[in-house]
Amino acid sequence: MQSKKRLRAVFVIFLICLGMVVAKLFHVQIIKHELLKERAEANWDREIPFGGVRGDIVDRNGGLIVGNRLAPTLYFMPSQNHEIKSSAMAMASILGVNAADLEKKMSEKAYMVKLAPEGKNITKEQADEIALLQIDGLYTGVDFARHYPNGELLSRLVGFTGYDGNGLAGIEYAYDEILQGTGDKIRLYTDAKGIPLPHVDDGFKTGAKGANVELTIDLRMQEIVEREMLQAMEKYDATQALAIVMNPKTGELLSIASAPTFHPAEYQNVDPSIYNRNLPVWMTFEPGSTFKILTLAAGLEEKVIDLHKEHFYDPGYSMVGKARLRCWKREGHKDQTFLEVVENSCNPGFVEIGQRLGPEKLSKYIKDFGFGESTGSGIAGESKGILFSEKNFGPVEQATTAFGQGISVTPIQQVQAVAAAINGGYLYRPYIVKEITDDKGKTLQSFSPEMQRRVISEETSKQVREALESVVANGSGRNAFTDGLRVGGKTGTAQKVVDGVYKDGDYIVSFIGFAPADDPELLVYIAIDSPKNSIQFGGVIAAPIVGRIIEEIAPLAGITGREGQIEKEYRWGDPITHRVPDLTGMTKGKIASQLYTYRIEWHGSGEQVKYQLPLAETLITVDDVIHVYTE
Amino acid sequence: MKTSFIVSAVALSFIGLAFVHSAGSYWGAVHYADSSPFIVKQAIYMAVSIGIALVIMKSPLTSSPKTWTFVYWVTILLLVAVLIPGIGAVRNGSQSWIALGPFSIQPAEFVKVALIGKLACSMNKIHGKGIFRFGHFGLILLPAALIMLQPDLGSAVIMIVSAFVILFIAGYPLKFFAFLGFAGIGAFVALIAAAPYRLDRIKSYIDPWSDPLGKGFQGIQSLFAIAPGGLVGHGYGNSRQKYLYLPEPQNDFIFSIIAEESGFIGATLVLLLFAVLLASTFGIAIRTKGRHAFLMVAGMGSMIIFQTFLNVGVVSGLLPVTGVTLPFISYGGSSLMTTWIAAGTIMHFTVGRKSS
Repeated sequence: MQSKKRLRAVFVIFLICLGMVVAKLFHVQIIKHELLKERAEANWDREIPFGGVRGDIVDRNGGLIVGNRLAPTLYFMPSQNHEIKSSAMAMASILGVNAADLEKKMSEKAYMVKLAPEGKNITKEQADEIALLQIDGLYTGVDFARHYPNGELLSRLVGFTGYDGNGLAGIEYAYDEILQGTGDKIRLYTDAKGIPLPHVDDGFKTGAKGANVELTIDLRMQEIVEREMLQAMEKYDATQALAIVMNPKTGELLSIASAPTFHPAEYQNVDPSIYNRNLPVWMTFEPGSTFKILTLAAGLEEKVIDLHKEHFYDPGYSMVGKARLRCWKREGHKDQTFLEVVENSCNPGFVEIGQRLGPEKLSKYIKDFGFGESTGSGIAGESKGILFSEKNFGPVEQATTAFGQGISVTPIQQVQAVAAAINGGYLYRPYIVKEITDDKGKTLQSFSPEMQRRVISEETSKQVREALESVVANGSGRNAFTDGLRVGGKTGTAQKVVDGVYKDGDYIVSFIGFAPADDPELLVYIAIDSPKNSIQFGGVIAAPIVGRIIEEIAPLAGITGREGQIEKEYRWGDPITHRVPDLTGMTKGKIASQLYTYRIEWHGSGEQVKYQLPLAETLITVDDVIHVYTE
Repeated sequence: MKTSFIVSAVALSFIGLAFVHSAGSYWGAVHYADSSPFIVKQAIYMAVSIGIALVIMKSPLTSSPKTWTFVYWVTILLLVAVLIPGIGAVRNGSQSWIALGPFSIQPAEFVKVALIGKLACSMNKIHGKGIFRFGHFGLILLPAALIMLQPDLGSAVIMIVSAFVILFIAGYPLKFFAFLGFAGIGAFVALIAAAPYRLDRIKSYIDPWSDPLGKGFQGIQSLFAIAPGGLVGHGYGNSRQKYLYLPEPQNDFIFSIIAEESGFIGATLVLLLFAVLLASTFGIAIRTKGRHAFLMVAGMGSMIIFQTFLNVGVVSGLLPVTGVTLPFISYGGSSLMTTWIAAGTIMHFTVGRKSS
């Protein structure tokens, strides 16, 4: 009896034991099913990753700035190859790398080895050649490298990507997350040692291309601007240069350039100070006379001066307390109207305007025009510039600020402010990214002009435009004159400050110009650091560049000849120019009797002029040639 | 009782054959490419084992205590022989095998059955208060010590537990088991205190993820098979873990593959078959005549079921990893033959009952 009882006890204990196992199985297979399944799948993963396709960077018209090119990367599964040495030697000769290094990498005790850097981003030709070798365990992963169809163009804005395709500078860096794509993956079904199993489902995971970034840049304008800037760099042996083209009505940056440039694919070969600094937003310097535009705008808005009726006498200096502030023209501009003060860029005249405004109003306008804080353009590495603190804003500081000295601003702040001064008084935030789209072209995010505040009235703005057109027609900006486009603008020449002291003989010369003066569509700023081989005046070096740029890009912005321009005043030494007469319909005899100074070249055998080049009303010099075409 | 016993035993053997094929074919092709597939060998082992079981079932010798004394000492001799270099072969760090031509045998498997038979016979005449004999412990400890010299912890544990189940059923006083329990806990603590590395083993049992490529490896790979199987499994032949992720999947961890391919439902059904086997064995035991028959049948059944529990407990992560085979199912001649010898013995006493 006792034995049977005990047998039953044993039976029950065994049943409990088996029951516990069933419970444990339930726990593992049902309750923790998902969690453990995930871990198991991670354990089975033998994926060959394909490089993600990064989004394109395009200009406002969809022109490709940065794209991608196919550049395969090699992967190797050591367990699938029994002749690693000979495979490595064969591959090394095609890839042009050291066979021993490659063999070492291929002998690693791992399921899969990425053959980098030896086999990373190889050319398609190399990949084809290697494929012919039919090396066991070698897989060619689709991978991409950045492609720059325009070479060095825009390099300091767009930046570059590093070894793993991450953006390291510029737009590539600032918009890295948006541009990044996820790669496709092939999931191989293998045993634990990596041997592929023939019969089963190799999976394919489709990745997604990164989003495209469309910039406000116009590539055609950018090409013109960079060409002009680089020519100036060479001509004047300058240390660096920068340029900005902006639509003053919207804040869209149509072109933004820094020199010297570099090729993004070879960023390792240049100094970090070149690829890390986007000069138009990074550099801060004394603006010099271009800043006078804002003093002028403030003075007109507050009605402390009258451009035409009021006169100012410049003895060549201005006394502020005990300090004697010199005009750039040693002997002074003598008696002038305030319009002439602007045309001559007369420093004592602007000291006068500043004093009439008083310190509070002057600093209010400076702040309202956006100085002292970053513009928020969205370009990486933007500086704020330096203004006088309120405490230190004494009479001398106030006076120098009025003509653009003693403060430090960024070019983009300068452009933002001048745009407001000429567009009717609206301060627009400059911006560089127009739209972000996915790879099917669907818009993910778009950016529109952002008006921050109104600084001056339309009436004041109109006066500023007229004054600045007059500066180009009659004053210090004459070299920017472009016939029929009504260019307005202002020169700037500032001594460089190094370690807090003015550096003798080194200037940053600049010019800010716009067109057309009656309804500005384009605002162009250029600055050249330490030009040599020339008088270091903005009016001499920078103004003609801006003039040429405006002339070339105006058609791209749809600007054609304008009526009502202020005619350029003749000065001794200027070429004598005339407007071409209308010769169409005239006969040979009639033309001969007019005694024109131009050389007339006849084409065709007829008597009567059908067509002429240049067209009537074009400005030409007296000894130019006019081609006339007869029947 | 007899029918349900035979049906469950045969069913388990055929399930074993099917899963030895599914689980082991890839492993075999990779590691034993030049010998015949596991399923062919296992089918031969099965035929031989069932043949031997039938002989044991029919033979009058099975009832004779003299037979068991002889068998016991022969297996002890084999256990000694396996320790002699040149005769015993080392596999997976244990010297457990004796090679006989193309086959090899594992004496520790056979000694489990032999001890149960011998112990049951030696208690035939004794009951009640005077049951305690030092000789019983001698019979148990001699093979246990020899097995631990190989070492083969799994077999030793199964043998000792089965022997103690016999002592328990035979009527050893409960005080004795209580004392044994305390002594066991004391020894456990002393062993850990003496060698702290054992604590690490226990830690890795409690949390196998702490060392997934070392101590926890097999346990984790087993869970990677079982868990994704879910309720119904991937279907026969569709295991993922058998592709070299789980070592020797046809052997100690075959139950992982069963659970992976047939899911929670399939695994539970297999355990249910073992429960039926247990119930019918104990039913047979109760109906036997003669005390040694009763003890022998109960002992053999306990051995099979305890080994089953140890195996599936390890596979499911309930118990720390110990290498024991799953009776009837795991690949291996010695294991299968031992199980069928036990089954033959159990069936022998059903024949005896009918004839008397």
